[in-house]
Amino acid sequence: MKILVTGAAGQLSRLVSLALAEQGHEVLGLDLRPMRHRDFPGPFERVKRYDHRQVDEVFRSRAPDVLLHLGIRAGGFQAEARQRYTQNVLGTRHLLSLCRRNALDRVVVLGTYHVYGAHPNNPTFIPEDAPLRAVQNFPELLDAVELDHTVTTFLWQHKDEIPTVLLRPVNIMGPHLRNQVSTLLRGAVCPRLLGFNPMQQFLHESDLVRALVQVLEGSESAVYNLCGEGEVPWRRAIQIAGARELPLPHTIAYPAIRLLSRLNIAFPEHLMDFFRYPVIISDDAIRSRYPWRPEVSVVDTLRSLHDVPPDAPLGRSNVAS
Amino acid sequence: MWSILDRLGDDPFTPQERDALRAAVGVSSAGYDPWGFNLETAERTLRVIRYLYRDYFRTQVFHPERVPEGRVMVVANHGGQIPLDGMILATSMMLDIEPPRLVRGMVERWVPGLPWFSTLFTRCGQVVGDPGNCEELLRRDQSIMVFPEGAKGSGKDWWHRYQLQTFGTGFVRLALQTKTPIVPVGIIGSDDTYPSLYSSRRLGKLIGAPYLPITPLFPWFGPLGLIPLPVQIHVRFGDPLYFEGDPDESEAEVERKVAQVRASIQGLLDEGLSARPRLKQLDRWARLGR
Repeated sequence: MKILVTGAAGQLSRLVSLALAEQGHEVLGLDLRPMRHRDFPGPFERVKRYDHRQVDEVFRSRAPDVLLHLGIRAGGFQAEARQRYTQNVLGTRHLLSLCRRNALDRVVVLGTYHVYGAHPNNPTFIPEDAPLRAVQNFPELLDAVELDHTVTTFLWQHKDEIPTVLLRPVNIMGPHLRNQVSTLLRGAVCPRLLGFNPMQQFLHESDLVRALVQVLEGSESAVYNLCGEGEVPWRRAIQIAGARELPLPHTIAYPAIRLLSRLNIAFPEHLMDFFRYPVIISDDAIRSRYPWRPEVSVVDTLRSLHDVPPDAPLGRSNVAS
Repeated sequence: MWSILDRLGDDPFTPQERDALRAAVGVSSAGYDPWGFNLETAERTLRVIRYLYRDYFRTQVFHPERVPEGRVMVVANHGGQIPLDGMILATSMMLDIEPPRLVRGMVERWVPGLPWFSTLFTRCGQVVGDPGNCEELLRRDQSIMVFPEGAKGSGKDWWHRYQLQTFGTGFVRLALQTKTPIVPVGIIGSDDTYPSLYSSRRLGKLIGAPYLPITPLFPWFGPLGLIPLPVQIHVRFGDPLYFEGDPDESEAEVERKVAQVRASIQGLLDEGLSARPRLKQLDRWARLGR
């Protein structure tokens, strides 16, 4: 298969692409950012500021069979809301329409479990059909939720034409990845809210790579939650990761983080809710369809954060197949 | 800091019992179950609660052998303003039933918003009262504790002591759906720990609670009024009830089964009160207030 991987300049796309290349697939990278990895196993196209015509041309000239959309959170949380919306929601919508026009065989999109929102009344084991409550408290998550809706609408409307899968993984951790939560856990001090210690789920990067490879080879249309081996409270996670706890009273923490995140020196405020209320999702659906099971325990996942310096180049042998 | 509690009294469990409990609950590699239960924290809490259970309330358990093996739904009467009866019942299943059983209580939806308490409750195995949680727990062979009277039961005043209020019906549907045996329980004594003369919904609203009880000691004596009266508590287990049928059957059909559970608990209460003539005598005074 010829697989178009978006977000190709990122570490996760690189890991997945290496695993896919090892399976004998042809990989083609696409990103808004310049490519930094020398070992990306295929050609790479850079599209600055999501130019529709340029992307059309990539589809026309390269004729991919499969879209693996990993670049959905382009711009990060620091980017301006409107720009993020244009890139993520409208960009994804355009990509999906291109998949239809070019009659691709399969689309796999990586979403996030943040769309469920950290809500005090969340049941444990949130299924895929649960309401997406993230925007109730934090409108900043609108683009994540809209994107999720865009993909699910596409998924059901065109499920006979293009089998599409939307994955909603929990916090993805690993030696190579730098995201909001892994950066916090790698830091010298990690914030927690005084009196709150909600359960968290973590997924190791290699488990995610294996899940993506299996799902790419499937032929159904579905939405799947993805979580790791077990659950662990946030404080225990900080201890296992080897960071020092910074206890903050929530009355002070929320306004402080809001201010700091506006100045681009802290994580987004909505993450604070995830340190307050548990969001435990159920991955029964993917387990009943695929042989995939998480192989790295939650303790090892958190310990692996310090395994190798995240920027060190990684050989193929390190990638789980 | 809390490890000092580990030296309080005898170990509640043998190492084998500990392993069995962990296996029954299904804890992760980090030692926690998905809802946040952790045996170490629960055991520490149990060491403290044991004093209340054994020395303060001098709890007696009748017919623990009636609790069948495997998952059960323990259904009891509710009383006494604060869920002391839930704590006593859960403790009795840990300390006075062989082998020890973790039974999950359901807490109100506002509890996760409470700092510290929310964490302590979850570590001890309590979960937010959500039908999804109950179903998932039973599906994983965990036992749950249900007070079908809800706040109507715990908030009733002393004049209506040991009078069962109307039951919710959801628990029977859940039992039918998951084919779980229902163990009726009668708890005697808890209705007299906080003899509420008057329950004020309006005052309760002010502090965001469903009701606020006025007892001979509360709020007149301040925090002193929060201390429960040291009434001896009896926990009576009844014979398990096995229901069969369609979980989606009509409300009338389900209500018939609920009535059966209610009658069974009423029987246990009558039996338990007859065994406590001095507590039963108080009913003469309670009747005056009805």
